[in-house]
Amino acid sequence: MRRVSFFRWTLILVPCLVLFFMAPLVLSKYLVFILNLLAVYVLVAIGLNFVMGYTGQISTGHAAFLALGAYFTAICATRASSLPFYVLLPMAGCFAGLVGFLLGIPILRLRGFYIAMVTLAFGAVVSEIALQWSSLTHGDDGLRVPSAFLGTFVFDSDKRLFYLIQPVTILLILAARNIVSTRVGRAFLAIRQSETAAQTLGINLSWYKTSAFALSAFYTGVAGALFAYAMTHITPDSFSLSTSIDFIAMIVIGGMGSIFGSIIGAVILTAIQQLLGSLAEVQMLVFGIALIVFMIFMPRGISGALRSWRAAVKARKKQSLENTPKGEGYP
Amino acid sequence: MKATGRKAIFVIFLFLLFFGLVSRGSAAEVGVSADSVTVGCSNSFSGPLAFCGLEMVKYGAEIYFKQINDQGGVQGRKVIMKSYDDGYDPTKALVNTKRLVEQDKVFCILEPQGSSPVEATIDYLEQQKVPLLFPFQGLPLKGRMVFTAHTVYPREAEIVVDWMVQKKGFKRIGMIYQDDAYGYTYRDTATPRLKSMNMELAAQEPVKRTSIDLSAQMAKLSQDNLDALWMILTPGPGAMAIKEAKKEGWTKTKLFATGPLTDESFIILSGGEGEGVWGFSDWPDPVHSKKPAIAEYRAALQKYAAGHVPNRYSLFGYFYAKLFAEALNRAGKDVTREKLVTTMESMKNWENGVIPPVSFSKDSHAAEQSGFMVEVKNNVFQPLSGWVSLENGKLVERPLGE
Amino acid sequence: MLIHIVISGIATGCIYSLVALGLTLIYKSTEHVNFAQGDMSMVSGFIAFTLFAWLKVPVPLAFFLALVGSLGLGLVMEFLLVKPAIRASHFNVFIITLGASIVMQSASGLIWTHNEFPFPSLFPNKSLVLGPVRTDAGSLGIIFSTSLLMLALFLFFKYSKTGTSLRAVSQSQQAALLMGISVKRCFALTWAISGLVAGIAALLIAPVVFLSTALGFVVVNGFAGAILGGWGSLPGAVVGGVILGVLENIAPFYFPSEIRNIIPFAVLVGVLVIRPSGIMGEERRRRV
Repeated sequence: MRRVSFFRWTLILVPCLVLFFMAPLVLSKYLVFILNLLAVYVLVAIGLNFVMGYTGQISTGHAAFLALGAYFTAICATRASSLPFYVLLPMAGCFAGLVGFLLGIPILRLRGFYIAMVTLAFGAVVSEIALQWSSLTHGDDGLRVPSAFLGTFVFDSDKRLFYLIQPVTILLILAARNIVSTRVGRAFLAIRQSETAAQTLGINLSWYKTSAFALSAFYTGVAGALFAYAMTHITPDSFSLSTSIDFIAMIVIGGMGSIFGSIIGAVILTAIQQLLGSLAEVQMLVFGIALIVFMIFMPRGISGALRSWRAAVKARKKQSLENTPKGEGYP
Repeated sequence: MKATGRKAIFVIFLFLLFFGLVSRGSAAEVGVSADSVTVGCSNSFSGPLAFCGLEMVKYGAEIYFKQINDQGGVQGRKVIMKSYDDGYDPTKALVNTKRLVEQDKVFCILEPQGSSPVEATIDYLEQQKVPLLFPFQGLPLKGRMVFTAHTVYPREAEIVVDWMVQKKGFKRIGMIYQDDAYGYTYRDTATPRLKSMNMELAAQEPVKRTSIDLSAQMAKLSQDNLDALWMILTPGPGAMAIKEAKKEGWTKTKLFATGPLTDESFIILSGGEGEGVWGFSDWPDPVHSKKPAIAEYRAALQKYAAGHVPNRYSLFGYFYAKLFAEALNRAGKDVTREKLVTTMESMKNWENGVIPPVSFSKDSHAAEQSGFMVEVKNNVFQPLSGWVSLENGKLVERPLGE
Repeated sequence: MLIHIVISGIATGCIYSLVALGLTLIYKSTEHVNFAQGDMSMVSGFIAFTLFAWLKVPVPLAFFLALVGSLGLGLVMEFLLVKPAIRASHFNVFIITLGASIVMQSASGLIWTHNEFPFPSLFPNKSLVLGPVRTDAGSLGIIFSTSLLMLALFLFFKYSKTGTSLRAVSQSQQAALLMGISVKRCFALTWAISGLVAGIAALLIAPVVFLSTALGFVVVNGFAGAILGGWGSLPGAVVGGVILGVLENIAPFYFPSEIRNIIPFAVLVGVLVIRPSGIMGEERRRRV
């Protein structure tokens, strides 16, 4: 039985992947650009999910990690132009991750809304530093980001960047899935359900909470590096409080505590922004109403709603099975 | 990988399917068809500059285009304006601009707003060879196809420094400025210029954009015995600064407002305490001026948006839409982006009845490089000088022309 | 000379405190965070504006009606938004209030535009000299009103029957229910009071910072003030807000311009690291 389904999904998956990677050849530049930004947001959502969805801590300043990754990449690529992207990306992630770890240490003693406030303050501080340390960041004028390159091949267009951003994103999604299905992931989930109970199970709270923060920062830092390449020019205004709040909206819409939820949250938010674009001055009004309606009717996000729907379908199937009188051909 | 991978790719495919593959029929020039020209911009319709954005696009440019379309359009073509909201977020500005250029196939970008949002798009537009016309911001932008609108901040700063020192003999000049590119530009232009005259800013105090209390900064400035305090602020904080100055009992120090601050709402918000404040004005009074061109703007506003109060933002939108239409007309029937740029570069001394005659050249893409000094008298900005500009480094004054 | 800066800082701090108060009120009884607190002030301000500027209602009457309106706004918020999500997690209600904030700002922009408007003050526009100290009626008025409000709330919660039931609900909903208190009614009442506080805040804030759809941004500082003083403590909210306001005003005198904006946040982080519950916060015991 299992062998059949393995074969079946490979049959579906492989052509899907091939088609996906042929996308830049058939789609417009604009759509490719949107897909690149979408990949960035997916990584941020997964990162944020490690902190909010899995360990239940709120981060209202996550744009700060995006900024750290973006500025690190822009500054290093400018000053050490021989560094290839496959060195810069992990370095940007590690830089953000290190900051996240250091921030996580004092934070882990705090609860719920205190963490929200400290991360808010952190976001404001990083934004302010990006603005004031103009010798490094060019402040409000912003930094131009040198294009990524591989040997002599330069990723200087949206279509070319697609082949850099998407594989990195897919790799990181797979890695996230692996993390989540291991002991570490289960520990994260346990902490979110109940910190006290998790402790009784022998889970070292401080270690896991800090690692969740560092991991989240790492993912968002790499996303920041990719963001810098996609935007080609970064200014502090791109990393504001409303950006951080958009990120939270993403994972709440998609559903917290699942990788799929992160992906779909990013997709939905991007789709909404695209769809509402032509409404100009009414756009934000509709967006606000959409958020409220969403949260009232799908409180566990789309992935949560899908899960309940699937569970309901299964339950109904089971019930109809039980209701079928025996001897109708069922073993 | 199973479930997530499958689901994820399925989801992304739905997304792509939804937007579909884009291909529109190609015309002689992008955004130009037999009977229409499409222009567009990413602007602020929400966020801190929403009021300016809505005024300049919905009650400025669109009103002008309605008017001219009703009269037959430009070279027989109606002008259509598309706009998207970026809320002053550079990321959204870039997304919107790419959408305008690649999906909506606009002929050019007209009147976007904000230094950060515009900066995020400028490299892209130059690369795609799309003209960027008259953004509502004050930094000097460089680009083959970029044309700036009102007097850029560094130019204004130079004029004001020269005027304060040479014409008014101010010795101790202080500055209270917003803590961002807007404020820094004035500070970083004024400082070296004063240095070249063996002077320096007697005091400088930054103010965060969202501040609600300026008492600390104004108290510090009180101690500096200033001849003039140059305010590089927006109307809200600017009005707060005036009120604070009144509270501190300032009599000797002249308050001086920048171009963006010299706006009617500044007078209204100061609640009558703005009498005697000086400023640098980019525009004649949009409400009271009797100039025919401004009366025409007010009449159009009355016709297409009855009851809407005239202000400098919708005037900006109207005027620069008019300048664009003039250039479009001069470029002729078979217009291309390239042709528009060269036509504009050949425009000399376009009499417009609002600001001094507009001239462009290969080296100068600035529509306006001057301003006139005003003083608040009876809650109205009254001229203190004619149009002041810098030519060959020297202050030149021309009559205002009523 | 420094003293009038401190007084001004205290007045600004009181403005933050008013927002912090509204936030804390709702959090204490329902454990929800109302992101739209500042925007409720904004809408109340615009209600008053519509009355005195468009309908030419005399200002004192307009103010009174606006306060009534703000009470109603609190009730409407509770009814429309929070009741349907009553079993939802705190994240969800937070996002709902975020949605409400966005809706309020854009709807207000569509009705009244995003322009800034002057707003009449409850206090005369006079400078006052008390000995060596120069200050103004406005600042003192704000400080006085906030103190009065604090006192009124304190008396209400401590001595009145309704106030006591609200306190009971905030300590334990189960126990309150067992005591015959209508928990649902208490929630509605809390939101109504919070709405009223937002309305009062509008009348005090708008003359200083001018009325516009951006008035709600003060909520961010309100959060900071509330946490600094101790999240979940009403006097803490006021103390925290005031300290924040004073800090912001003193910073320009002692710190170079590059870092002075970071000072309030740095202090916040510092306080939280040393004393996680904030200056006056309470350690809440949590159920497993």
